[in-house]
Amino acid sequence: MSGFSRRDFLMTTAGAALASGFVGSSSAATGTPKRGGTLVGTWGGFEPQSLFVPAGGGSSPYFTSTKVFERLLRLTVDLKFEPVLALDIKPAEDFRSYTIKLRPNVTWHDGKPLTAEDLVFNAMEYWKPISAGVTLDALEGAEAVDPLTVVLKFKVPVPEFFLKSVLAGKAGLVIPKHIYAGSNIITNPVNNTPIGTGPFKVKEWVRGSHVEFARHDGYWNAGLPYVDKLVIRWWRDPASRSAAFEAGQLDIGTFNPIPAPDIARLTGTKKFVAETKGYSNSAWITSVEFNQRREIFKKREVRQALLHAIDRSFISDTIFFGRAHPSIGAIPSSNSIFFTKDVQDYPFDVKKAAKLLDAAGYPVKSGSRFKMSLVSAGWFEENVKIGQYLKQAFEDVDITVELAIPDRATSLKRIYSDYEYDVAVSNNSGSIELIPATTQYYTTDGIVKGAAFRNATGYSNPKMDEIVGKMAIETDEKKRVSLVHEFDKLAAIDAPILPMVDLEPVTIARADVRNHSLTADFMGESWAEVWLDR
Amino acid sequence: MIALFIDFARRFARNRAALVGLFLVLVVIGVAIAAPWWFPRNPLRIVGRPEIWPFVSPRYPLGTDSLGRDIAAMTAYGARTTLLIGLCASLTATIIGITVGATAAYVGGWVDELLMRLTELFQTIPNLIFVLTIVSILGQKIEYVTIAVGVVTWTPIARLTRAEFMSLRDREFVQACRAMGMGSLRIMFGEILPNALPPVIVLSSLVIAGAVLFESAVAFLGLGDPNVTSWGQLIGDGRTLIRSSWYICAVPGLAIMLTVLALNLVGDGLNDALNPKLRDR
Repeated sequence: MSGFSRRDFLMTTAGAALASGFVGSSSAATGTPKRGGTLVGTWGGFEPQSLFVPAGGGSSPYFTSTKVFERLLRLTVDLKFEPVLALDIKPAEDFRSYTIKLRPNVTWHDGKPLTAEDLVFNAMEYWKPISAGVTLDALEGAEAVDPLTVVLKFKVPVPEFFLKSVLAGKAGLVIPKHIYAGSNIITNPVNNTPIGTGPFKVKEWVRGSHVEFARHDGYWNAGLPYVDKLVIRWWRDPASRSAAFEAGQLDIGTFNPIPAPDIARLTGTKKFVAETKGYSNSAWITSVEFNQRREIFKKREVRQALLHAIDRSFISDTIFFGRAHPSIGAIPSSNSIFFTKDVQDYPFDVKKAAKLLDAAGYPVKSGSRFKMSLVSAGWFEENVKIGQYLKQAFEDVDITVELAIPDRATSLKRIYSDYEYDVAVSNNSGSIELIPATTQYYTTDGIVKGAAFRNATGYSNPKMDEIVGKMAIETDEKKRVSLVHEFDKLAAIDAPILPMVDLEPVTIARADVRNHSLTADFMGESWAEVWLDR
Repeated sequence: MIALFIDFARRFARNRAALVGLFLVLVVIGVAIAAPWWFPRNPLRIVGRPEIWPFVSPRYPLGTDSLGRDIAAMTAYGARTTLLIGLCASLTATIIGITVGATAAYVGGWVDELLMRLTELFQTIPNLIFVLTIVSILGQKIEYVTIAVGVVTWTPIARLTRAEFMSLRDREFVQACRAMGMGSLRIMFGEILPNALPPVIVLSSLVIAGAVLFESAVAFLGLGDPNVTSWGQLIGDGRTLIRSSWYICAVPGLAIMLTVLALNLVGDGLNDALNPKLRDR
């Protein structure tokens, strides 16, 4: 040790100052954008099963596919829609049809132009049957009026905010007709090397390591993207991501890439910034799901009792180091349009939980009420700890718990294909608009065996289906909000699946990465505008 | 018999390092046996504030981990898991290895060819990847981890047993047995095996040390059984905090290091005691 130098001292005090309010402001557009360079990005999860999963498949394929595919619109941080591939989307007076004007001179990566025919194909062959599913049930037809104009026709009135959210959301990616027509979209091998209209082309996917994207020179937004090369690399655990940041191997990581205790340490060096913006349209939650196919968990009283047995503040304070807060109802509190506090809640109360279980017909017999298989999806570090905590929490109300924390693929299979669990811990990110991202966990038509991040509990309540059905066709925004509140109340009482905590995700970036986190869902943006100040 | 044992013990004791190893192994066994009396609660219970450093609170002498679980309790119970898996996996490997090696050498011919090619096949697959594959297929249960470790570590035992059998197969005493009309199985396991066993026992004791490391690696990668405590799992859980609370990884890491070292020392001692060529070194 050579003693405590003056420079060290300055660094430490600066670190302390930053740690108290370390969200930096360098994400804002400062200076003139520079062209060139390689941007290495990651997210706080693992490699996807395929670069593009047409039916959804979670955040990992969403992260990679959105660098290649674009949508008609996007949502800004202040929740306004902004044109991307569409110049304009207008509803008719009766809200039964919408006219879409496409942006001219957009080409696919293989040089073919984007036309109204592509859009008709997407609407009828991709969005309606695959990605949006029942969400676009009311879509009756799509017609190309001229090469750049499409009219979507609906059986019933469709709310404008809802339709635009779908088009700007996870289900609204625009895929090329000339590649997919006549093939099975879901199993088409091209999904591993997708061809889109976006700023980046897939160059090479080295499985188990990274995917390299090259700049698409014919991108419609002249001058973009700013970087020449985008590499998305995956690390298995948060500590190695923070080591990669420090070693200069990683420029930007979305969705909690590094361990929470490391955030203050990294931002303290001033070489990195932590940014909490860019998540309003992808509010992350950790939820607990109860398999309704199992006799015990079909009983509502049992589910409610188990919710009382969970100390949500422990999860948010200790496991997430304060980067989460206990959820209220089914809707994340960050949803400024639809959130309501006026729902049944489940304060932590072990005695009440035990009483409710007694009343439900499961008294303690020779030390145990019943046996439960608890599956905690092992894709996030925190889920491992949550699984271990829940095991203890349920053991405290005398339930015998068999805990499993499988890897990503096995977790998806056990929870969403085989339904092989009693209680599961999973995650999802919902958009501001609740149909379908949130509602598909509660509606009967959300049950699609093998489709990840939908109704895996088997919950089916006609009342619930009716409310969601009404939400889908109510064009008056105020009335829609009160319908959503009705939905939330029923979801909270029936509790087939409920969020335990709302996460407060953070993006970590090197200080010389500019123009990031400027939209409502930055992780699912194309990243064309990101540039490197080097 | 007793005289033989005393002779063996004397030769073992001549190796001082082996005595230290034996002492450490006995300590680990003692801790494993005493764990339930020492820490009557479930070791995976959250008992205190998270990240209490060792030697700060008398209630948690080795501190608490990121969830607030007692590291001392987890380490003590981890010794049980580790030893159990080590012993059972070594036993599995020894049984498979001796059976395959003895059969190959004694029967010879195409059976030998077949069994040795099979052994080579197992040897060519990287051990850790093979273990992970088996565990991810069978599931995250402690039994399956044990089987997986046993299945990948039997090959050196098989090869050693085969070599020993080869050298003994045509000795006079074996031929005498044959001439007396003894059955093959009786010759193999009654006559040849006791003579071939000493080096195999030495190797088996080293396999225990290897098994401990495999189990730790599997648990570290999060593929272990989450319902039992294990040293590797504790390290895996603590690795995100390695920059701030390094002791979470260090305590079980030290335990693994000492145990594996001790087992290797004991293996050396056994080698000295059982190897007739070194008898009067």
